[in-house]
Order: sequence, then structure tokens, then C-alpha cells
Amino acid sequence: MTAIAPLLSDPYHQSFAAFMAERREPEFISRLRQAAFARFETLGWPTRRQEAWRFTDLSDLQALTLQRPSTALIDAAALPSLEIPTHRLVFVNGRLAPGLSQVRELPERAMIAGFSQALPDHSALIEPVLDSLPGLQSHPFAALNTAFWEDGALIYLPRNAVIEEPIHLVFYATGGDMAVYPRLFLMLEQEAQATVVVECRGQGSYCNAPLAELQLSHGATLHYHQVQEESPQAFHLSGIRVRQSRASQTQLHLFSSGGQLARTDLEVLLDGEQAECLVNGLTLGQENQTGDYHLRIEHAQPHGTSEQVFKSVLEGKSRSVFDGMIHVRKHAQKTDARQTNRNLLLSRHAQAHANPRLEILADDVKCGHGSSTGFLDPDAEFYLRARGIPLAQARALLVHAFAKDSLTRIALTPLRERLDRVLATRLALDSLEGN
Amino acid sequence: MLEIRNLYATVEGREILNGINLIIRPGETHAIMGPNGSGKSTLANVIAGRDGYVVTDGEIRFDGKNLLEMDPETRACEGLFLAFQYPVEIPGVANLYFLKAAVNAVRKYRGETSVDAMDFWDLVHERMELVKMDESMLKRSVNEGFSGGEKKRNEVFQMAVLQPRFAVMDETDSGLDIDALKVVADGVNALRSPERGFLVITHYQRLLDYIVPDHVHVLVNGRIARSGGKELAVELEREGYALYNEEPGRARRAV
Repeated sequence: MTAIAPLLSDPYHQSFAAFMAERREPEFISRLRQAAFARFETLGWPTRRQEAWRFTDLSDLQALTLQRPSTALIDAAALPSLEIPTHRLVFVNGRLAPGLSQVRELPERAMIAGFSQALPDHSALIEPVLDSLPGLQSHPFAALNTAFWEDGALIYLPRNAVIEEPIHLVFYATGGDMAVYPRLFLMLEQEAQATVVVECRGQGSYCNAPLAELQLSHGATLHYHQVQEESPQAFHLSGIRVRQSRASQTQLHLFSSGGQLARTDLEVLLDGEQAECLVNGLTLGQENQTGDYHLRIEHAQPHGTSEQVFKSVLEGKSRSVFDGMIHVRKHAQKTDARQTNRNLLLSRHAQAHANPRLEILADDVKCGHGSSTGFLDPDAEFYLRARGIPLAQARALLVHAFAKDSLTRIALTPLRERLDRVLATRLALDSLEGN
Repeated sequence: MLEIRNLYATVEGREILNGINLIIRPGETHAIMGPNGSGKSTLANVIAGRDGYVVTDGEIRFDGKNLLEMDPETRACEGLFLAFQYPVEIPGVANLYFLKAAVNAVRKYRGETSVDAMDFWDLVHERMELVKMDESMLKRSVNEGFSGGEKKRNEVFQMAVLQPRFAVMDETDSGLDIDALKVVADGVNALRSPERGFLVITHYQRLLDYIVPDHVHVLVNGRIARSGGKELAVELEREGYALYNEEPGRARRAV
């Protein structure tokens, strides 16, 4: 007779029960948590036998995800800065740190607040929309986030509200083997405009699994940036769900350079005519890092435009995974959807996996995808050296040339410049001024 | 200035250079002519230090220093320049930025501080006129989308900015119409000086009407079969290389 292994979710059950016993919150949230937990139980812990998790080794992570975060304080000096005025919300170990946060003057009825703060007064706004976006239904970490999130950011812009200053969200973890599940809910009403920068970082060993829900009404514009610079021991498992109405525009810039394992699952539903979406990703990998992206762009309505541009620069034994799906529904005629994945390997031991996928049910569309992976061009390297430029600098120049158009697409100048410095530092270049 | 003694080199295991001897003194311009596959470009690449070109015997001395022990960037910093037969396109690296990086690399090697931005700009502008280059080419990526003529002009422009002591021109005339050829030749001639040496590699005598050499060498099967004055080029143009082709294609290299 075979021994029966204990149910995978048993420790989760205990953990969830303990968590729920402490919560004091509206019933609709409890219901969402229970439904999400049930979904997680059904999904189970991901294994590498599942296609979507084939390249994601989670064996070291499972114990971490059960550890509830501690309360901690951090020094403001540890926080990333954009060096311009911003609305800033800082979450330490998943909880709002009011002393480090500051929201400036906002248009009437607009809101940028911590969830826990806003919930008592704004249940009526939140209840119908929270966790209502489609996408990531089979993503266990999205389910875990909905079950276990403690706090997060709530951003609401009424019709025609335009916020010039970036909304700067910092999800910081202080380590000590714990899992944090920060949440972001953003809703832009008709013609509203916002720029959001989400920074994920921390120290030591932890799992950061934020979930963002971004909803855009007619004609709204969102520039969204996820800057992942987690600690080298960290696991990062983020989920982003987007729903766009007619003629709305999103730019989603995803920069990844930290963590031992960083994975982002993104689903965008273009749910109105003439919706536009750009997803621009840059991954820098070194040592044993894994940078992993799973994207699904769903064209549900005609005349939509989407573009995915993903690049990775891989050193050491690092790996990148790009799994990108464009799905065009039968009704979504005149869709223009493009996908590009380019990977630069700087070592013989680095690996890039590309899995571009198209599913097109409409018959009048423009869709294209391309993927390439290669090493630095030895002819270009020699050309630079033949002009006196040392080998290391020649290689760095070529890597920067490869990566920089990803950064050029970022309109938010202080962030673009900061990331360019991150890149220059990684490449040990003194200055890239003028290029 | 440049001394090549008994130089043997292989590419992918095949013997291409079979004992070259050549001495170029400061102020001299030497031309190397020869049929396709005679080893002309191999010689240029061996001098510049390109990977894949293996020297099996002999030596090259540059102002008495052992050139073959230096990596390519050190050779460049010592004052050697190779004008490429096929200049490489480098998307994403602006021409001007690249030049400044090169100038500063050479200055650093000499123990000098980085070039002053204004001085550099003045130098660049002055040299641009020399090769009739348009300012827009400075902002474009290195050689990207340049026509054949623009690429060759860019090589001469880089040489004019870097001011090497010795330059190897590897088939700088290939793919140029007569007007572009004159511009390139004028650029080279403007740089000729009593301190500077040139090695001009070409298949055709035409270039040597404009860059008039002091000495002409005929390279056949990896050896210098004949040397003479500038009149040798004219003779070759008339007679062709047939006289020298004892073993046709022996040194031809696969591309």
C-alpha cells in the first residue's frame, strides 16, 4: 500500500485560518479572500510539470510563502527616489508606512491612499471592482495575494482628472524569511491620466508577490512602470491585470534586475475599440538569476493596437524566459499586434527561452512576432578595439547599445536616467553621456 | 617605423602569408597590390591584431616594439590605425560618442586627461570638412545605413581625428565612384607628413593616381614577388597579375 502524502495545503489552511481570525474588515473582502484561497487550493502549488511553470524552480520558495511578515521600520535613505515631486506611498513588509509616505494636493474626488486607510469610507467604491478584473485566474500567486494581502495602494482618478506628478509606490521588504503580498488597485475614469512607478526592493531573504489591478475607462492614459530591484536572495512573483476600455492607452514598462527568481505574469484585456497597449520589458541577469515573463494580450474589440518589446541581457549562469501570447478574438478585426523578444547572451552559460505565441481568430488583422538570441558581434567588438577602446569598455558599449532603446521608450525622464545609471553601473561604464 | 620580418600567418589552418619582409620608414607611403586571394587583407588584419589570424613565424616591430604581443586596442593606442575594407555597422552607438571614447582611450593610454569638450568639437568640425562629411553623420549610429562611400569617408574621418602615426588602408577604394575616391584620397594626402607612414592596400592602380606611393610591392601567394617605385603600379595595370600567378588560388581564403 502506498503511503498517502499529507495534503499540500494543510499548512496553508492553518496559516489562512490564523490570518483570517485577526482580520477586521468588511465582509466582501473576507468573501474574496475565501474564494481566492479555495482557488489556490484547487490550483495547488505550481510544479515544473506545468507548462507555465516549466522554467520556474520554486522548490526553495514554498516554505517562505507561509511566513507572515513582521513589522519593521526602515530608514528613508533606503528608499529609491525619483528626484522630482511625487505622490509617494511606501509599504514596508506589505503595510503602509505613513511616516515615509506623502500625498500632495489632488484634483477633486481623486484619491491616492493606503487601502486600510481608505476602506472604511470608500467601501462603496471599492466593493464592486476589487478583484473583478479578468486574467490570472490560474495563477497561484495571484490567488495567494488575494487571500493574504494586508494593505496596498488605492488610486482613483475621476473623469478628466490629470495628475502630473508621478505616483510613486514602494513595496519594500525587510527580509528574515517572509512573504509579503502588497496590492494595488488603480482605476482611471474617462480621459483621466496618471503616471505610476512601482518599485520593488528589499534586503535579505523574502518573497514579494504584489498584485496590481489596473482599470482604464474610455480615453484614459496610464504610464505604468514596475522597477524590480529586489535583494539578491529574494523571490519576486508579481501579477498585473489590466482592462482597457475604448481608446484608452497604456504603457507598461517592466524593468528587472534583482532577485534570485523574478517572475511577472501580465494579462491585458483590450476591451474597447482603439485601445492601445505597449509592454516594454528589460531584464538584466547575472550569476544564477532567473528573469521570467508571462504575458497575455487579449484583443477583444476591433482596431486595437498592442506592442510587446522584451529584451534581456544575460551574464553568468542567468536565464530569461519570455512567454508572450497575443490572442485576437474573432470580433477584433483590424487588430495591429506585434511582439519582439531579443536576448543578448554575455556568457556561454546564460540561457534565454522564448515562447512567442499567436492565437488569431479574426481574419483581418496585422500580427507579427520575432525572437532572436545571440552573443555580441565579434566584428563590432574588434572595430571598437581597433580604435583604441579597451575590450571591457567595447563590450559595455555594445551591451548598452543593445539595451538602451528599451530605456528610451520610458518618457519619465528621472526614472529613465536612473535606470540608465543602473545599467551603466552594471556594465562598469564611467559615463554614457552623449550616447 | 614598421618592420615586418619573415612573417608567416595562417587563417583556419591554411597558410596565407608565406614569409613577408617589409620595412616602412616615417614619412613613407607604401602600396601593396596583388590579385584576389594573395593575402593582402590578411596582412592588414595581422597588423591590426584581429582574432583568427595566427602568426606562425616571423615578427612585426612598430618603433622597435613587438607589435604581435599587443592586443588590438594597445596597437591603436600606440598609434596604429586600420581603415577597414568593410567598416562595421554598430547600431545604437552614436558616431560622435564612439569617436570621443576612442580619443579618450588613446589619451588615457598616454597618461593624458580626457579631451576638453570644446576642443574636441573644434577638432571634429575641422576634420569633417577634410572629408566633406555632413554633420548629421555624427549623430547617426556608427556606419549604420551609411552608403559604401560614406563608410569609407567615415574611416578617413576617424583617422583624421585620431591622428595615428601609422595607417593601413585596406582596399579603401573598393566600392567608391571617382568623386568619392578623390575625397578619400584628398583626406589621406592631407594627413601625409614626414612623421607618418602609410600602407595602402589595393587591387587597382586607380587609387594610386591620387595617393601616390613611394614604393609599390606586388603580393602573390603570401609573398612579396616584386618591389619597385610608383611606376610598377602602372605596369601592373597594363600587364595584369597573370605573370605572377604561378600557383593560382593557393593563398585564396574562403570568406
